[in-house]
Amino acid sequence: MELAAAFPDVKTGDKRSMSFRISVDTGGTFTDVVVADEFGRLTVGKALTTPERAFKGLSDALNDAAEALAMDLPALLAQTELFVYGTTRATNAIVTRRGAKTAFLTTEGFPDILVLKEGGKHFPHDFATDYPAPYIPRRHTFEIRERMSSEGTASIPFDEAQARTILAKLKTLGFEAVAVSFIWSIANPAHERRMGELIEEMLPGVPYTLSHALVPILREYRRASASAIDASLKPLMQRHLQGLEEDLRAAGYQNEFLVSTSIGGVMQVAELIEQPIHTAKSGPAMAPVAARAFSGLETLGADAIVCDTGGTTFDVGLVREGELVYSRDTWLGGEWTGHLLGISSVDIRSVGAGGGSIAWIDDGGLFRVGPQSAGSVPGPACYGQGGTQPTVSDAACVLGYFNPDYFLGGRMALDQEAAHAAVSTVAARIGRSTAATAFGIINLASELMIKAIHDITIAEGVNPRESVLVAGGGAAGINIMLIAKELGCEKVLLPKQASALSAAGMQFADIVKEASRSLFTTSQSFDKVTVNTLLASLREELEAFRAGLNATQKALPYKIEFVTDARYASQVWEIEAPLPSAVFETNAEVDALTEAFHATHERLFTLRDEGSTIEFIGWKARLTVMSGIALDRIKPEPPPGVAETARYRPCYFGDDEPVTTRIWKGQELAAGTRVDGPCIIEEPTTTVVVFPGMSAEVTPRGHYLLTCI
Amino acid sequence: MQATNPSCSENAPVPPMDPVLMAIIANRIDAVVREMTHTLLRTARSAVINSARDFSCAICTGDNELLACAEGLPIHIFGADMQARTMTERHADLAEGDCYLHNDPYTGNTHAADHTFLVPVFFEGEHLFTAVAKAHQADCGNSLPTTYMSTARDLFEEGSLIFPAVRIQRDYKMVDDVVAMMRSRIRVPSQWYGDFLAGIGAARIAELRLKEVCAKYGKSAIKTFIKAWLDYTEQRMINALKSLPAASLSRDGRHDSTPFLPEGIPLRVDVAIDPDDARITIDLTRNIDNVDCGYNQSEATAVSSVMAGLFNSLKSDVPRNSGSFRRVDIKLREGAVAGKPRYPHSCSVATTNVSDRMINLTGLAFSDLGDGLGLAEGGVGLGVGMCVLSGTDPRYDNARFVNQIHLCASGGPASASADGWITYGIPVVAGLMYRDSIEIDELKHPIEVKRAAIVAGTGGAGRRRGAPGSMIEYGIKSETMTMIYPGDGQEFAPRGARGGQDGGLAGRWLIEPDGKATKLTNAANILIRKGQTVRGQDCGGGGYGPPLEREPERVLEDVRERYETPARAREIYGVVLTGSADDDTLAIDLDATRTLRRHMASA
Repeated sequence: MELAAAFPDVKTGDKRSMSFRISVDTGGTFTDVVVADEFGRLTVGKALTTPERAFKGLSDALNDAAEALAMDLPALLAQTELFVYGTTRATNAIVTRRGAKTAFLTTEGFPDILVLKEGGKHFPHDFATDYPAPYIPRRHTFEIRERMSSEGTASIPFDEAQARTILAKLKTLGFEAVAVSFIWSIANPAHERRMGELIEEMLPGVPYTLSHALVPILREYRRASASAIDASLKPLMQRHLQGLEEDLRAAGYQNEFLVSTSIGGVMQVAELIEQPIHTAKSGPAMAPVAARAFSGLETLGADAIVCDTGGTTFDVGLVREGELVYSRDTWLGGEWTGHLLGISSVDIRSVGAGGGSIAWIDDGGLFRVGPQSAGSVPGPACYGQGGTQPTVSDAACVLGYFNPDYFLGGRMALDQEAAHAAVSTVAARIGRSTAATAFGIINLASELMIKAIHDITIAEGVNPRESVLVAGGGAAGINIMLIAKELGCEKVLLPKQASALSAAGMQFADIVKEASRSLFTTSQSFDKVTVNTLLASLREELEAFRAGLNATQKALPYKIEFVTDARYASQVWEIEAPLPSAVFETNAEVDALTEAFHATHERLFTLRDEGSTIEFIGWKARLTVMSGIALDRIKPEPPPGVAETARYRPCYFGDDEPVTTRIWKGQELAAGTRVDGPCIIEEPTTTVVVFPGMSAEVTPRGHYLLTCI
Repeated sequence: MQATNPSCSENAPVPPMDPVLMAIIANRIDAVVREMTHTLLRTARSAVINSARDFSCAICTGDNELLACAEGLPIHIFGADMQARTMTERHADLAEGDCYLHNDPYTGNTHAADHTFLVPVFFEGEHLFTAVAKAHQADCGNSLPTTYMSTARDLFEEGSLIFPAVRIQRDYKMVDDVVAMMRSRIRVPSQWYGDFLAGIGAARIAELRLKEVCAKYGKSAIKTFIKAWLDYTEQRMINALKSLPAASLSRDGRHDSTPFLPEGIPLRVDVAIDPDDARITIDLTRNIDNVDCGYNQSEATAVSSVMAGLFNSLKSDVPRNSGSFRRVDIKLREGAVAGKPRYPHSCSVATTNVSDRMINLTGLAFSDLGDGLGLAEGGVGLGVGMCVLSGTDPRYDNARFVNQIHLCASGGPASASADGWITYGIPVVAGLMYRDSIEIDELKHPIEVKRAAIVAGTGGAGRRRGAPGSMIEYGIKSETMTMIYPGDGQEFAPRGARGGQDGGLAGRWLIEPDGKATKLTNAANILIRKGQTVRGQDCGGGGYGPPLEREPERVLEDVRERYETPARAREIYGVVLTGSADDDTLAIDLDATRTLRRHMASA
């Protein structure tokens, strides 16, 4: 692929002129920075996140990376051509409901769409939990007299006078944003459109979201939820993104500034201010992008499972046949109890499992890990901050997997005694040695993670045995090889930048924009004319967007793909099937589409029903402008293989007796080197435990290819 | 699994197998049930399964003990083991590749509309497990287009096809004769066949996965695990029962009258708790004889309903399987309305009406043990929002349709620690079932919904408040449409516990084009005509504890959020508010509240 246009000519002799790309992932605890040079070589920088002033943490992390490149920050910024930013700001605002004071306008008679939601309840016998409050309080919900039918006719005409009365009230009450979601607005958006016009007229400057424009999909709750979330984020994200861009400009940066989005792409700030909901999974959506790139670089195949291990959560995502996997069922704040994003976003499943998960014995004598976590305060016992409950980190400490002289990058002293004391409480209960118990804790923690991986691979019809497992997150290396062994994954890749996987992914992310409409038709009476018109209008919309890109971006290769949300007649859950062609001239194209649906259904659910009519509900086009770093541009930078004095530590791998274990520093291992377990590889921001019978090999690019079976 | 307190209990016994391996295998078995659930949910055709989640998956052992049932509906907890036993007893030639259909309410099934697919799982030639997938059908061939034949005087008038563990696959191939029989006797056969394939698919996925688990850990470890796991769950139940006080409890309750059952159904539960021996006896033998209509419980639902009432009252996540059930002695009488049905009495509505009342009754009985224990009663009644609709759809060439809709939101009961769950549904589903999307229902049936809204002030008042019920109203787009529902909830309200007030009653009306409303009977079979609408008010849940003990802040929030009315705040909760909800200025007048509450308490 020819992507030279993405990289302005590099002057010989001044290799660093205008040739860097910077990506930033502002997480809850750390801000990760990855800087790519013109050869695609990646440098990681890290600093603590500063929630009160985002730019502080960001510039600390940038300085950290600049230092590693032996540059100062102004020089780095001056020579940077692209800056990509990802943030948890939107997610946090949704979960803690700190968005704008938002009014929810709904069809009269349906005030409780955000209360009643979709889905059910997890524990049938739990009556100790209050019902979760809706995303927008009921008192901020207003019913508008109007009703569209499922056929798109007005059962009740839009009552403009009543709508004006409500808007006047909103003005008095000082609402900062308005979400409009009417029943069947997707069948006929006239009422929502008129409502939008009235808002512009009566509440000028107040941001609003119309459901049919944001998410033209069936099911009133998911459309309402998406609209409510989007509207509530508008004032906040506008301030945040514009403020950050101003800070960056003030620091001397002059080129393109893009933000990573939930669909695994990057987008201009102006677009995201219009639809800020697309920043909700800004950071996590980038992990599969990184996995796809790294797996491709190492030619490990087109199917990948990506795991990102943090202190309290474990995220799993997928890459299937080289494509990201999307879902409309992303809940923030817990499945069913939280709020449904409603938009299509990269499918990432999170479970509460990590270094802080607590091990315990229940009253029937069963050995359990989690779901309780020691969190960051007091944290695991080995942090020495007063924690006494045995956690996964304490188990790793007891087993000798942590370097006591360089714990958490030297930021913390490792309290080994406290860890032993904590783990021995559980050991005494099950009559095992502390070391065997600690190994059990690691295995049970792995089970929680395996469960999360199972849930997503089952849902997507992916076989873990045929996928490469890509590990990210600072704590990934502790048990990723155990997990891979249990799953039967033969190939495991732990990138050198594992601790900043999402930021690394942003380097490879393309500009992605979607357009969608709903239109009901069936395989029996396929409406070719209307479908063709619809698909052409989707293409037009995306071409118009592309025409607005800057000259460099417009010169990039791009593609537009089409998919449909379809189902067998009388099923209610649609699945996304690719459109073999974007124009339907003859029945042959309809047949090809029908076959594409059968094949997708069979892959996901192991059955196809040839005799059944297929219902097509939604149509979507996805534009990808290939702005990410192209893999074939990347020049390998093999690790040096510096010889050091051999170091050893006693470590445990399931037996009561320790094994004298070789401890490698990453820089000691030249490309192509294979080390056999048991051994431990220490990188500045991550640790890899290679268990007995397993091995690790350094790839030509300095990543770790792990063999677990 | 639900979280419990992470403490290291000092006197818990150590299971007789590697504790890590035991936890891992338990996790794997749990994963199998979740994969079955996922498969069934996403591949089924009828809305009752794929929108409403009216199905459950379970795994039984080779010797027919219930091993795991993950997030199955409360009313489906018990019985899979009885069904598996029917299968092994009826088929001496049980073999790998078999699949059986069971829906016989006299030998372990819930009711005839729940088709249960049983796949015996063989490993190294031995029958080690039975995978069980149970799903409510949109139609099961009843004489009327409903899966809840409340009026059926007996099994024959009910009319459903009955399959007492009938082989439907041999050597992994369909027994086509049975399929042909069903196709010719079930309404909308294409929909039924899709669900049939989905049910078999779910059980087959489990077979595949269970074999993988067996291959990985070996037969001997699996057998050790089964025993250890059932013993472990028994121990959990022992501990839970030991924490209860010794007591003998009795409670009476009632199912509403209907046109064909003018006396209604009196109900009774007697509970004896023996914490020293860690045993509990639940006695249903004092219930009246079977009634000549579809409300009789099957044995599976009789046991499941009181078992659900018990589990609702335990403060612990004790797994639901044959291990924990060992400690529960349920006394049933053959020929009792709540008990074992005597053939051919109809159990068509066994999974809801009487069962809902029995779950409520049991939970309420437990509340008599003391403050902090048991539950109030939850909203009951399948009405306008949970009826079976049938007819033809003019939008799709007058294609026939029959389906149950799920737009009901009866209020959940209050417990000592939480307010009722708003999307509770009814006691037998306890909030697990999914509520339909209005748009999906309008796409699939020629109806137009006018209103779906929570009604303020219908939740039973209490220190913890019952959830309010919802109002639903819809009209039709075809010339006529049949609506059938088995009712309940219009006469006897869900009761409050320990001083909590009762929840609001249900109500159902037929509205003429001129607005004239006719109250509908408790159970009904109605032909709706174009221009008419039907309206249904769902019950609110009962409250727990005296309303005067509710924190004024909670009452304020209830009024601000329109779950309660200002009048009830003052008259029932004794909370005096100032300002107005309209302009966000509502506040508590603490002094006036204190005075009013003192006055009300002494009155």
